[in-house]
Amino acid sequence: MALKSDFLIKGVDFCQMRSKVYVAYRDLVFQDNVLKKANKANKFRAKLDKTEQPLRLLLLTEDETRAEVVDKPVEKYAKKLRMKYRVLREDVKRKKAKALKADENADVTSLDALLETTLAEHEKLVEAKRAELEALFQENWNNRAINEEEIRSKLEALVAGNAQFYDENLVKLDQEFEKKNANYSKITDLRVKFWSKIEGVFADLIAKQNAKTGKKDLEPLPEDVILSARDLSMHFGGLKAVEALDFDVKKGEIFGLIGPNGAGKTTVFNCITQFYKPTRGDLHFVTKEGKTISLTDYKVHDVILKGIARTFQNVEVVKEVTVLENMLIAATRQYSSGLFTQMFHLPLLKKEERIIRAKADQVLQYMGLSLYRDRLAWGLPYGILKRIEIARVLMCNPQLIILDEPAAGLNDTETVELAALIRKIRDDFDCTVLLVEHDMGLVMDVCDHICAISFGRKLAYGTPEEVQASKEVQEAYLGTGGND
Amino acid sequence: MTAKNDYLVKKMLAEQQKEQSAKRALQIFDKFKHHPVLGYVIFAVVLVLLQVLAKEGMISTSFIGAVGSTLIYCIVGLGFCLLLGYSALASLGTAGFIGIGAYITYFCFAEYNVGVGVAFLLVIVVAVAVGVFVGFISLRIEGIYLAIVTLGVAQIIKEVLSALVDTIKISAKDITIFGMGFEIREVKQAVFFLIVAIMLLLMWVTHNLINSPTGRAMLAMKNSTSAAQAFGISLMKYRLLAFVFSTILAALAGLLYMLYIRSEQNSAGTLFTLSTSLNILGAVIIGGTKSIWGTIGGTFIIFGIDKMFLQDIKFFNDNPTLITIVCGLLVILVVMFFPGGLVQLVKGGIFKLKTLFVKWRVRRYGIEE
Repeated sequence: MALKSDFLIKGVDFCQMRSKVYVAYRDLVFQDNVLKKANKANKFRAKLDKTEQPLRLLLLTEDETRAEVVDKPVEKYAKKLRMKYRVLREDVKRKKAKALKADENADVTSLDALLETTLAEHEKLVEAKRAELEALFQENWNNRAINEEEIRSKLEALVAGNAQFYDENLVKLDQEFEKKNANYSKITDLRVKFWSKIEGVFADLIAKQNAKTGKKDLEPLPEDVILSARDLSMHFGGLKAVEALDFDVKKGEIFGLIGPNGAGKTTVFNCITQFYKPTRGDLHFVTKEGKTISLTDYKVHDVILKGIARTFQNVEVVKEVTVLENMLIAATRQYSSGLFTQMFHLPLLKKEERIIRAKADQVLQYMGLSLYRDRLAWGLPYGILKRIEIARVLMCNPQLIILDEPAAGLNDTETVELAALIRKIRDDFDCTVLLVEHDMGLVMDVCDHICAISFGRKLAYGTPEEVQASKEVQEAYLGTGGND
Repeated sequence: MTAKNDYLVKKMLAEQQKEQSAKRALQIFDKFKHHPVLGYVIFAVVLVLLQVLAKEGMISTSFIGAVGSTLIYCIVGLGFCLLLGYSALASLGTAGFIGIGAYITYFCFAEYNVGVGVAFLLVIVVAVAVGVFVGFISLRIEGIYLAIVTLGVAQIIKEVLSALVDTIKISAKDITIFGMGFEIREVKQAVFFLIVAIMLLLMWVTHNLINSPTGRAMLAMKNSTSAAQAFGISLMKYRLLAFVFSTILAALAGLLYMLYIRSEQNSAGTLFTLSTSLNILGAVIIGGTKSIWGTIGGTFIIFGIDKMFLQDIKFFNDNPTLITIVCGLLVILVVMFFPGGLVQLVKGGIFKLKTLFVKWRVRRYGIEE
């Protein structure tokens, strides 16, 4: 039985993804439960308040009661009349304008008088209403024969009782939700156990297959290296875009690739992300688990799973959806829901959607893009689009971030900000950055090591100072001196 | 005397109650205002009501018949929504896939008499198989070339089917739906309800797909293939998915058409020809490719209007070719002035209505200082 190893590896990834989803969702459920508990407690409190309310209202002073019983309804009534008056006012305004247009000396005093009389009428109506309600209030207030002390003590007793009720209920709620949380943890544990068992089966199969075919793991890279290119060559027909390029990118550094136009920088990037399959040479990469893999074994859309995410020279943000949805697109491979789940929006998809949306919100917050969360990407300024590209990369849990000309089209202040941002991302997300850039200021400022290439060949490698001092680099950029 | 019996307290409590209930009503309204599926359910209920009215004799049977056959084209259009609007793939093979569905249904009922359930399963399985096969071959190319390849496929399917049997006809007696037999007069009604049910289900499924990672992945792919690939979206997978989905829907439409109309002559009719594919493409573009409601509206304009309304007018009845001219004019006008489809027009209209309402209020009440 020769199962394809590709399928097996995907199986392992899938199982890990499922386990992760359930664990992440458990935390969300716990958070929810805290809110739900508070909500339930508040509802109970409101219920208790309702029983106290009549007594409290009975104890209000004369003025307070009057405000409730007389002033509020009168105010409402006045508002209603005011709307009526406004309709009349607009009507009169139009009529007046019409009359004046027809005849400049027209007599419009009658219209003005109508307005005034109506206003006065309304005032009278309001007064009448107030008097009526006031009389009713006075009558009832004077007829009220209550013992305030008695009621006060009654209320106190009720409040004390209610407080006790509330506390008892709180304890009950605590127990209830603790139980719920415990149950959910148990279910989550079972699910995780189930998926890890399946993962074990897949891992065994892989081991067996490897033993059978005698396939050995790749020779590990030196400890601090994350990406190494050896003899990397890319030919398009007769054109040698990249020729025998060697370089190592160290873990946690910012690595710059520079060169004049057409030197093959973007081709190198495309080789790393497998948009092009290199004609010759090795590209080895160390994954999060510390395993060395050969990138050329992977398809272009599977490279992201290994932790390599890239941006584009000309921003490729999806313009017809919102910024948030752009983030979700970047996280497409983090969903483990199958087609059936997606067709009928089963609970698993809803769980994943919540988890990933929360993550997207975090990333947007980090990048300072929360303001644009629900805006269409269409028509956003270029600087923001560039930021969205970087935010998209951060959504993919990257090990290695590849930035293709991040400063192109930015102004000077934005470039300075970008340099700080790149450093910050490197430190906060604990990843390596590989960038191609024309802006020498940015490159020299931000990079730990630089590799300069020209016509697909390596010119120099080293720290910024070393590369700056290199004669070949100066020649490639400025041309050879005329005298020699 | 208890506190609640006091007149003043009673009044105050009543006031509070009123405020609370108004607030709650507003909350419930807000919850349902933007509920997506509610609209589909209302649509289905209206269609069912139309059929009931037709049974009572308040609506002409020809009208309801036109609605029924238009709904069948709507189902094809839904598949196109995903294919054209979200994946930007233009296929002209629709008629061929409708033909496959129709012929399978014919064989299921007229030759082997196996019932609707088996026919459904068979149609879906064959549609998936054909879709995957054609998709694998043709989805390596895009745009106009894909349209040409699928056009060829449709032509091949049509010729093969016509060589098999030319006239397919199911008698109403043979039709049973999930074990239930019907009187000859009632068959059409029962099938109409079946169409509405399937339509509702498919609208819901399409809506779900659009609003899930799959729909977003398709959009990403449509906008920029390289960015999509960089973020782990396999072009072949999602293109194939959209293609197979639209194939299944077309084949299902073929099945429903055979149940509803019950006869079709391959060589004389136009159902399995290019014109159907083109009409559906036009309908989806007119309605608005990215919207389910737009797709349905467009289909009703292209397929529905002439049969539902224009045929009743004597002038058009005497000159049937003029109907095509009117429809063609509509297509030109919509594409010229509303390139986003009729959805754009409706959305603009709603926005205009809202502004008009605000203006009316200002005119009526004036501005309070």
